[in-house]
Amino acid sequence: MKKKVLSALLCGAMAATMIPMGATSVMADDGVSLNVTTTFAGTESNVQEYQDAVKAWEEETGNKVEDSSGSADETFKARVISDFETGAEPDVLFYFNGNDSNPFVEAGKVMSIDEIREVYPDYASNMNDDKIPASPVDGVKYAVPFYGYWEGLYVNKAVLEEAGVEIPGAETTWDQFLETCQKIKDAGFTPIAASLAKEPHYWFEYAIYNHDSFTTHTTLPTAIDDEAGKAWLAGMEDIKELYEKGFLSENTNSATADEVFQSFLENKSAFYVDGSWKMGGIKEGTDDVDNFTVTYVPGNGDRKSTDIIAGLSSGWYISKKCWEDESKRDVAIDFINYFINDERVSEFAGTATTALTNGVTIDESSLTNLEKDALAMLKDSTAVTGAAQDLLTQDERSPIFDNMPQIVEGQTSTEDALQGVLDAVEENKE
Amino acid sequence: MNIYKNKKPAFFFLIPAFLFMIVFLYYPFLQNILNSFMKIKNLGGAAKGLNDPVYKNYLMLLQDENVRMALKNTCIMIVVTLIGQVGIAIILAMLVDNIKRGAKFFRIVYFFPIVISATALGVLFNLIFQFDGGMLSQLVGHNVNWKELHPLTVMMTPVTWQYVGFYFIILVTGLNNIPDELYESASIDGATRWQRVRFISWPLLHNVVCTCSVLAVTGALKVFDLPWVMFPNGAPLGKTWLTGTYMYYKTMQSPDIDYSSAIALVIVILGVLLSKVVNAIFKERDY
Repeated sequence: MKKKVLSALLCGAMAATMIPMGATSVMADDGVSLNVTTTFAGTESNVQEYQDAVKAWEEETGNKVEDSSGSADETFKARVISDFETGAEPDVLFYFNGNDSNPFVEAGKVMSIDEIREVYPDYASNMNDDKIPASPVDGVKYAVPFYGYWEGLYVNKAVLEEAGVEIPGAETTWDQFLETCQKIKDAGFTPIAASLAKEPHYWFEYAIYNHDSFTTHTTLPTAIDDEAGKAWLAGMEDIKELYEKGFLSENTNSATADEVFQSFLENKSAFYVDGSWKMGGIKEGTDDVDNFTVTYVPGNGDRKSTDIIAGLSSGWYISKKCWEDESKRDVAIDFINYFINDERVSEFAGTATTALTNGVTIDESSLTNLEKDALAMLKDSTAVTGAAQDLLTQDERSPIFDNMPQIVEGQTSTEDALQGVLDAVEENKE
Repeated sequence: MNIYKNKKPAFFFLIPAFLFMIVFLYYPFLQNILNSFMKIKNLGGAAKGLNDPVYKNYLMLLQDENVRMALKNTCIMIVVTLIGQVGIAIILAMLVDNIKRGAKFFRIVYFFPIVISATALGVLFNLIFQFDGGMLSQLVGHNVNWKELHPLTVMMTPVTWQYVGFYFIILVTGLNNIPDELYESASIDGATRWQRVRFISWPLLHNVVCTCSVLAVTGALKVFDLPWVMFPNGAPLGKTWLTGTYMYYKTMQSPDIDYSSAIALVIVILGVLLSKVVNAIFKERDY
């Protein structure tokens, strides 16, 4: 009898090992568990505000957010794309609406705003539909914009003061900027904090913008020697020049973005080019936010310094997987509605642009000097264009972005890097 | 007693694990070989037919400078691993085995790095080797760009350091399995401490060292996490690619799935070949 019981137990144990272990319940203890991925992480703006809002929503609704947000670098983008490709996509995603979203849009893995409105007619009704960017894949709108971005030149005022140079302004030319950098370098500071190894994006964007214009900036090269191609090559040559003159961080080819940003905060570097989201990082990383300002990246050629890069590049997506799950659909809609109402958008947007029909409400008295400088910069800007890199997917960009150290070192020619991009674009068309 | 002669139940109970291995290891491996001949752009994406020529990826492997760099660095890593990890572990194990007091303390101390995640260790060593304000830069009194000046040393030091404890524990266990009687009789015969190590410990530890060496070589081929945290994208200037990091890069960062499948296959073939070589060199012995 004992043997029979033992045999039964062993068979039971064997059968147990055959049971798939992947089954998970979507139900949290008191509600629904929602998988959410956003770019509210690291030194981005509004990270704390986002976390507070999520907590408040959880308390209000009894639902649970499984958050897997990450800083919006190339690694994060790769993770999001592979999550979609392997069927592990989040229920709600706050992500880029340009070519970075192409893989999952093409695969039909996210819901369009129109499809959602068929069931929830009031969904994102406070947004001006004309301002909601459409997908480059099919011209359909999938992502509800939250707030936009601009890219500018952050300045450490103390460093400039010690180096005896003026803050670049609307009239500063590229050549004057180079002279300023030389003076800063001579004074013993790093003129530009930049990580070419991890984050060459922002310098790349303005460097090529300095060789085209706001009307042509978002044109993808089709050949090395067409107009856009020439602008891209010239832009990369400018970055190479900055490197060769020793204006970039000494460890730019191996440092992380956070490492060089820290040197900027610690009064060791003068300039840092980044997006509006970096204002949060500055506010959190320093006790003296008034020591920092933001201004235009000095222009060259047809581009006036006051021509800036800005747009609504990200938005809230609902995955099809979530939509088809009856237990999650309402919750996902409720979660997004919690974030995209006028009050919340105004709170998060601050100085950034939005797609709100009624616009944002800003209490200027609560703004820091840095934020006021940003508002002034936006107000006086003469032209706005989107980012050229948004025309490319991550793998298409990689011949340039992953090889920027090799490019500035001369190990990879600018022509070869651009040809790599063109080849990748061509291959993806097949 | 027939129940002990009948081996069928044993096979029956082996089936679940066998099925598990087929579904989650051998089938994906065979599929990976097939993938290396197909056109697959993105992870999980459908294949768009066969490559032209079908062996295109293998030709690319021969021409890819990053693959050459990865193989070269991996070979260096294997040597460093064998000498640095297994070698140091042998010395430490012998030393700890020869002390009466504090052996337990040293076992814990040397094993400790194993329980720390590779990501945390990567961050820790990033801070140590940081250009501006890093521990070493502070010690020498000025900023030194360690990661660009000595990339391989900076990458391999923490990898070596992390796994010494792993082999140390295996070797200490091996030493503990050597009967005390052998040492006692050697002592009675007048053997010195060195002679006991040389003629008793070392020969009887041979098979354990062989196992450790195979593990170290195959481990070096797969090492990924710590180098990736410290030197993503082969930084600086593609000097730190390893087979593991380059395969990940071509899978996740700059997706080319069929090509990364070919790299994965090369890693497996290298792993099998090198473990055979290590086995042949060390040759397990029966005592």
